[in-house]
Amino acid sequence: MKEYDPAIAVQTQSLVKKYHGQAVLRGVSLSIPRGGIFGLLGPNGAGKTTLLKTLAGLVRPTSGTLAIFGQEVKGPDPAMRRLVGLIPQDNNLERELSVEEALLVYGRLFGLKRVKDTVAKTMERFSLMDIRHKQVRTLSGGMMRRVLIARTLLADPELILLDEPTVGLDPDVRQSIWDIMQSLQEAGKTLVFTTHYMEEAERLCDHIAILQQGTLFFSNTKEQLQARIGMEVRDLENLFIELARNGGSSDGVLCRL
Amino acid sequence: MGFYAVYSRELLLLRKKIGRMGYVFSSVISPFIYLFAFGYGLGNRIEITGGYLPFLAGGIIGVTVMINAFQQTASSISAGKFYYHVFQSLVLSPVRSGSVIAGIIAAGMVRALFFGSLIFIMAQLVFQVNGSILLFLFGALLGSFCFSALGVIVGLLVRHPDDIAFVNNFLIMPMTFFGGSFFPVQSLPTWMQYMVGLFPIGALNHLLRGQQWDFEMWLAASLLLGLGIVFFAVGVYLYRQYSE
Repeated sequence: MKEYDPAIAVQTQSLVKKYHGQAVLRGVSLSIPRGGIFGLLGPNGAGKTTLLKTLAGLVRPTSGTLAIFGQEVKGPDPAMRRLVGLIPQDNNLERELSVEEALLVYGRLFGLKRVKDTVAKTMERFSLMDIRHKQVRTLSGGMMRRVLIARTLLADPELILLDEPTVGLDPDVRQSIWDIMQSLQEAGKTLVFTTHYMEEAERLCDHIAILQQGTLFFSNTKEQLQARIGMEVRDLENLFIELARNGGSSDGVLCRL
Repeated sequence: MGFYAVYSRELLLLRKKIGRMGYVFSSVISPFIYLFAFGYGLGNRIEITGGYLPFLAGGIIGVTVMINAFQQTASSISAGKFYYHVFQSLVLSPVRSGSVIAGIIAAGMVRALFFGSLIFIMAQLVFQVNGSILLFLFGALLGSFCFSALGVIVGLLVRHPDDIAFVNNFLIMPMTFFGGSFFPVQSLPTWMQYMVGLFPIGALNHLLRGQQWDFEMWLAASLLLGLGIVFFAVGVYLYRQYSE
């Protein structure tokens, strides 16, 4: 039986996911250290969301292995579900419920003790008290994202997966989400997030992975990436444009990675 | 604990739906029309021991239980998968697979019992049909368990929301009209009688129309319970294989 290092938050080995014979993930081998912010970058259709959902347990890989905090994941495992929290890009809250009801339902699913108190504290922490009786369907995009984050953090997961957490949000809401992410990192949590915003990656990440057409081209520290491609991290924007143009070929900047 | 969390979530969502104007009315209007139209339209032409109206009432209650139990679980899962992604909340939770499926089925049973009871009461009040409350409860419990569990399987298997309509047309609709709800299956050709004898709605109708406990009643109850357990086990297996 293969040994996994519990000091590593996520280890994947040759992870493949196919839909109707089409590979979306093509042998992704990745190691995400515990207690940092890990950015998963890549153009649209690169497989970022599929990889994130695979780590969360929503997508079953076609082949390959996955270990979370040293434990190999082989199927639905209640203990593992408590360790991992996913904040999806799309709203998956129950639209008919109020904010408070949605949080209570989630807390009960996680078997939280004194769930009402925990929900009340979480609502205060995320400034949701004023909208607690509002129906989820009536919330703005920014509010919805805050509720989604609050809901996931109710269960206090160790590994937090965020799928494009700031996409389509106002600058001030984006800033507040960055603050939350940084405070979670300071609390020792491991965060993995996907993004299109290079500014976000530069500001938050200490490790970066670049995914293109389901293949992992690079995974290392931000500084390593900078050294390898010989440009400022903010110039990742150019790297992305080149990636998109080349369709992930090894020409151009990718051969430097 | 996990079972109760899932069950109360499903019930809360159901309560919100029932609270909406017209939801209850639109759910009971079809069975009421069937009861009224078939009861008065065909009542004099069909000779059945005990009268056609009590026979029809048992069948309509059976159909109401079947449709509500099946739709509640099949729609809850498929809509949660395709439209609102709320099914992810269950998959990502630490609740064990068996408890998730049991909680969803139990909520389907509550909806079926609620609407079945409304038709049962209506049949007694409006059409003066006398039926045993105990037999109704026993039959409706077993029937709703069986059809809720079947709805779970369908909800988990469908790959597109339209697939539910396909199942309705090719499974629920034939069971509704050929399962002995509106007329005795003895009116059908012999080969068809054998076929519809396999429909669980037939067993449910038998229980709902029963007068006394005999071997056939136990057989009908065992069939619904047995099928329900098999459907439940298949539902748990499919849930464990769930992948987006």
